[in-house]
Amino acid sequence: MLCWSCRQPASGHFCPSCGKIQPAQATDYFSFFSLPRKLNIDLPSLEREFYRLSRKLHPDLFARGSAQEQEWSTEKTSQLNDAYRTLKDPIARTGYLLELEGVKLEEQSRSATDAARQTGAEKKQVVPPDLLEEVFELNMQLEEMRMNKQVGEDDPNIVRDLQQAQQHFEQKLNELTTELQNDWNEWDALIPAGSTEPQDQQARIRVRDKMVDLLNRRSYIRNLVRDVNEALS
Amino acid sequence: MAYSNKVLDHYTNPRNVGTLDKSSVDVGTGLVGAPECGDVMRLQIKVNPETHVIEEAKFKTFGCGSAIASSSLATEWIQGKNVEDALKISNTDIVKELSLPPVKIHCSVLAEDAIRAAINDWKKKHPEAHAAAAQSEVNQAEVNTTA
Ligand code: FES
Repeated sequence: MLCWSCRQPASGHFCPSCGKIQPAQATDYFSFFSLPRKLNIDLPSLEREFYRLSRKLHPDLFARGSAQEQEWSTEKTSQLNDAYRTLKDPIARTGYLLELEGVKLEEQSRSATDAARQTGAEKKQVVPPDLLEEVFELNMQLEEMRMNKQVGEDDPNIVRDLQQAQQHFEQKLNELTTELQNDWNEWDALIPAGSTEPQDQQARIRVRDKMVDLLNRRSYIRNLVRDVNEALS
Repeated sequence: MAYSNKVLDHYTNPRNVGTLDKSSVDVGTGLVGAPECGDVMRLQIKVNPETHVIEEAKFKTFGCGSAIASSSLATEWIQGKNVEDALKISNTDIVKELSLPPVKIHCSVLAEDAIRAAINDWKKKHPEAHAAAAQSEVNQAEVNTTA
């Protein structure tokens, strides 16, 4: 691409020759920060880059520029904020990558239901049945504890039960986080130096699907942690 | 978010919350979850062994208001229906009845899943129900070919 202003080759947010802001483009969040699609991200340097770009792209700096430059700076600033918010959070980042990789996390369950209705076959649950059993059981227990707590506010036994449950769920969440870290490493190892995406397509899909499965399981545990914290507060 | 009146009604006054005996041969249990939000729902049916009519339905949902309303409505709808008719209920019927907004569609999907899962579980305990359904299909096919 050539810079719109000085006609020298340009890439990135600013022309390397004349320094002018370049047109805003539809781009994914990784590319916005010129990062490969890797899941291990160095957060301090992401943060530094975020602040650097916020300053340089700030619409105030373009108050005397052309209408187009003003528009680009506004547009890029909003992309920058979205990109940073998503990439700095490990779970949001993973979910976002999976979306880029063609997974529709929101729709997977619904399409499985549609398929089951048409064929009359049993719907494949997206998480293993024994996890559902366990989560349901834990929810039942938690409900009972919460009701007991309402009745006998200060009963130390109930508080102790809840605290044990809290520890248990948090430990599970931690286990999933460790598992996710392993998947991240596996994914990142698929991306050769100098390239932005995995080249081995089979492995790419395999690791991707592992992470989908993990995020699905995680959402149930996360709810339990949330509920038990609420009950204890 | 604003819930429709029907949702509020089912949410504040849910019908048929409870448990049936999981181990009874006439009881089917469906336990399903929505990975989008991490909510879980259990729906149980008690089926008349002769007529295959659902005599009783109970549910327990850990989830949002729309999921509770959807499962409450689902139990109301399937009681008195035979299992094959109950299988015809789809999540869009629930969405319409409760006026659920698009972000809450997955909650109705959960209720449809729960009905199907409960009926499948019951059918597993009653292989002859499969045979009956298959037989009626065969009869249907014969009617079609002779026509
Ligand atoms: S938000 Fe989870 S079922 Fe409604």
